[in-house]
Amino acid sequence: MDNLINKNTLKYLAELSRIELKEQEEEKILKDLQKILDYFNLLKEIDTKNVEPMMGGTIAKNIFREEEEKFKKEKLTEQFLENQDNFLKIPPVFE
Amino acid sequence: MTIRNFHEGLKKKEFKAIEVVENYYRKIELEDEKIGAYLSLNKTDAISRAKKVDDDISKNKDIDILAGVPLAIKDNILIENEPATAASKILKHYRAVYDATVIKKLKKADAVFLGKTNLDEFAMGSSTENSGFKITRNPHDLERVPGGSSGGSAAAVAADLCIAALGSDTGGSIRQPASFCGVVGLKPTYGAVSRFGLIAMASSLDQIGPITKTVEDAEILFNAIKGKDPLDSTSIDPKLQTTNYKLQTPKSIGLPKEYFEKEGLSKEVEEAMAEVIKNFQKLNFKIKEISLPHTKYAVACYYIIMPAEASTNLARYDGLRYSKLSPDETSREARQTMSLRGAPQTLKKIYSEQRREGFGSEVKRRIILGTFVLSAGYYDAYYLKAQKVRRLIKEDFDKAFKEVDVILTPVSPTTAFKIGEKITDPLSMYLSDIFTIPVNLAGLPAISIPAHNLNFKTQNLKPNLPVGFQLIGKPFCEEEILSIGKEYENYTKK
Repeated sequence: MDNLINKNTLKYLAELSRIELKEQEEEKILKDLQKILDYFNLLKEIDTKNVEPMMGGTIAKNIFREEEEKFKKEKLTEQFLENQDNFLKIPPVFE
Repeated sequence: MTIRNFHEGLKKKEFKAIEVVENYYRKIELEDEKIGAYLSLNKTDAISRAKKVDDDISKNKDIDILAGVPLAIKDNILIENEPATAASKILKHYRAVYDATVIKKLKKADAVFLGKTNLDEFAMGSSTENSGFKITRNPHDLERVPGGSSGGSAAAVAADLCIAALGSDTGGSIRQPASFCGVVGLKPTYGAVSRFGLIAMASSLDQIGPITKTVEDAEILFNAIKGKDPLDSTSIDPKLQTTNYKLQTPKSIGLPKEYFEKEGLSKEVEEAMAEVIKNFQKLNFKIKEISLPHTKYAVACYYIIMPAEASTNLARYDGLRYSKLSPDETSREARQTMSLRGAPQTLKKIYSEQRREGFGSEVKRRIILGTFVLSAGYYDAYYLKAQKVRRLIKEDFDKAFKEVDVILTPVSPTTAFKIGEKITDPLSMYLSDIFTIPVNLAGLPAISIPAHNLNFKTQNLKPNLPVGFQLIGKPFCEEEILSIGKEYENYTKK
């Protein structure tokens, strides 16, 4: 089985999804993902050239409604870890 | 006790709602330690709701069929001011800020919520072993799993620690635990029930549905929670469905040959299904073999689409927004989070650490898998391909429903497996969802019904583990599968 995903790919994916993986976790996830991705090769059997992709689960299109304030801001922001004037307080975004 | 006989008993004043609710809490205290169905209980609110119903009855007011009914709610459905953890450490301190639409509807009916039940973390799993807090045990055999991800709800109903429950189903998470625990579980048509207030996992697949002791109870609960909701743009008014399905006489049941392959089923499931088919023949249903040729691709298709959607839906969990800590913990933990023991942290590092600590391994695995299939260079080969295969799977069902009224299949290849048996091999766990997954991909309604009628007593260790069978219906034809289910149930009660 060719390795579609190696340690570097995994590190890249971990960074994209903002999840720092521990050493032992990396080993196990790599093995699991390789097995799973190998299983996905099954889909290569089907000819889907002229098939329209199915986007989502519903037939409904362009459902809109008016934007309206549903809650007082405080209700949502009071569960922030650090809160200042109803904003989420965070450290610098850049190093 | 079912919803039906609770309601009749209440109206006849044979007992009070408060007595039943308090009795359930006593039972939970005695038995839930060994089963582990509940994550949190809601006594004060439950008791006050029950008292209101008793008050209405004493004044001879009309009451809703669900008034006073003690329900268990899966912990990924929001009840205002109650915990909503999705069984994840990253939400361990979160309290819901609003009611899910289904909860709003149930509150209007004066139903009672006993507490929130355990699940696989973020509904990812088929055994409830992935919960960030504890495992739940199958009441029929405590060494076995209740199934997942709605294992807590299914176990609570099976052990009579509530009258009925709500669960959610993305790839089988209502039907499979219902099958493993010997109870009824209905996954509505995609769009039949509002997802507003359901912690999102895979937005094109998730549905909330009832887990109950009888098919009639499932029908009652479904009717209470269904309906188009302006807050969920994917919910649909069933009256707008244009396709007309004519019922055949006698009604016909399709058996898809891909679901009944010899090596695909355990002996117990094979025998139970043979009995189910015989029962339907005795009930005068026409049995017809059909084919759903793309079945074997469903698991691969699902495990590309679902993690992709989940990776997006779980991006919001940063350990900062839903993290109100108790007053004594607040400043200490906040300081620790924001500055690792004195060293200043960047936001990126905080996110990565919070998610490292807050998410369990299955959740991480699926987020990373989802990120992979959506990433540049792989999107076409995986995600786009899977969406095309999804269309083919749906078309298989469309074609089949031109020949038959409903489709009958097993729910799971096996009965409940032992705790710990599959948890180290994710792929083998995924493959066990083969019979439930295609239904979510196609957006159809389906119900899991026990093949044999069982008594709801926790002390009874039945020699045979429960086996459920699945009835798949046409879009928005829940009434059909519910009525056929009731027919089966009444027949096997004798």
